[in-house]
Amino acid sequence: MADTSFKACAPVQISDADIFTAMREISGYLDITPSDFKELYLKAYDHALSRLTRVVKVREVMTSNVITAKQEFPLEKVAEIMAVNHISGLPVIDDRGKPLGVISERDFLEVMVGRKSANLMEIIVQCLKGKNCLMAPVRIKLAKDIMTSPAIIVGGDDSVDDVSKLFASKGINRTPVVDSEQRIIGIVTRGDLMKAPVAGGKP
Amino acid sequence: MNYFQKMKGVSQSPPHVSRLEVLLSWLGSFLGIAAIGAMNYVYMGSQENALMIASFAASAVLLFGAPKSPLAQPRNLVGGHLLAAFIGVAFCKIFITQPALAASLAVSTAIAVMHLTRTLHPPAGATALNAVIGGPKVHALGFMYPAIPVAIGVAIMLLVALLFNNAARNRRYPEFWL
Repeated sequence: MADTSFKACAPVQISDADIFTAMREISGYLDITPSDFKELYLKAYDHALSRLTRVVKVREVMTSNVITAKQEFPLEKVAEIMAVNHISGLPVIDDRGKPLGVISERDFLEVMVGRKSANLMEIIVQCLKGKNCLMAPVRIKLAKDIMTSPAIIVGGDDSVDDVSKLFASKGINRTPVVDSEQRIIGIVTRGDLMKAPVAGGKP
Repeated sequence: MNYFQKMKGVSQSPPHVSRLEVLLSWLGSFLGIAAIGAMNYVYMGSQENALMIASFAASAVLLFGAPKSPLAQPRNLVGGHLLAAFIGVAFCKIFITQPALAASLAVSTAIAVMHLTRTLHPPAGATALNAVIGGPKVHALGFMYPAIPVAIGVAIMLLVALLFNNAARNRRYPEFWL
């Protein structure tokens, strides 16, 4: 799976020729090969990256006034909540506040088209061709029918670094943040992680 | 990467050094070896090459040809030669009737001990070997060998390396002491 969350932080792609030229600029004989240097550079970069991001906790970057839905909410109501609040996804929780799943725009697209990895343009095409009304399933289904479950959750004290890796490995964009009793205390998105302070600065 | 693919190599040789570096390496190593030769002349007389062993030439390559190398640092130069000299004499004495075994064990054990003590210095492998194959004169020294000629020669080389490498504007030595 592509590690998209780290692309922005990927080390500069240095070539063997770059290293060779740099070595020539340093006077004196360096008893190291360009490939040794590259290996060192990449490893050092990884260590620097985890050092700079490990210390920041999810609690510091999450959104705490989280907008949620209940599992028996009709999709019309869920869509309205998302529309009014300008959000592209929300957690579905039970009465105790425990996250059961997450609903995103992607889940709506999938239920409308009826299969995985559907996109908005497919829906536009089908509507323009006047085939069938894709809204039918949306009218009758409930939040619990389309949510992605079980919810992938993280703790408030988890590091931003670990959560970034989780997002990348699971291919998700947001996850509920819970306390020690599994009750929701916030939500963290890829955008929040991008804003996470590095180099030990205050958020 | 399989066994045979590994033999093709993966990288390239480091670049040429400048002409100035070549000249400095030439001059520094000339002075280093000459200093040992001069000491030898003054204290041992012109005929005896008692202070000069071949492994000093190899140290000169590192000290003056690659002074930035971790292998060329004082810890490695001094520690490597002294440990290897001692190990060489010890194996020479233990396996006195089997010089080939003594030579192999002296070199390999010297390398292992240098690794364990972070004093890896390739020329010291020759110092260990020389304790075994250096002939009657070296054998007669016994456990004096680590002191004379090894420690004396190493001290002279280190001194020349410090004086010479730091006099050149684009050189410094050492990178670290301990």
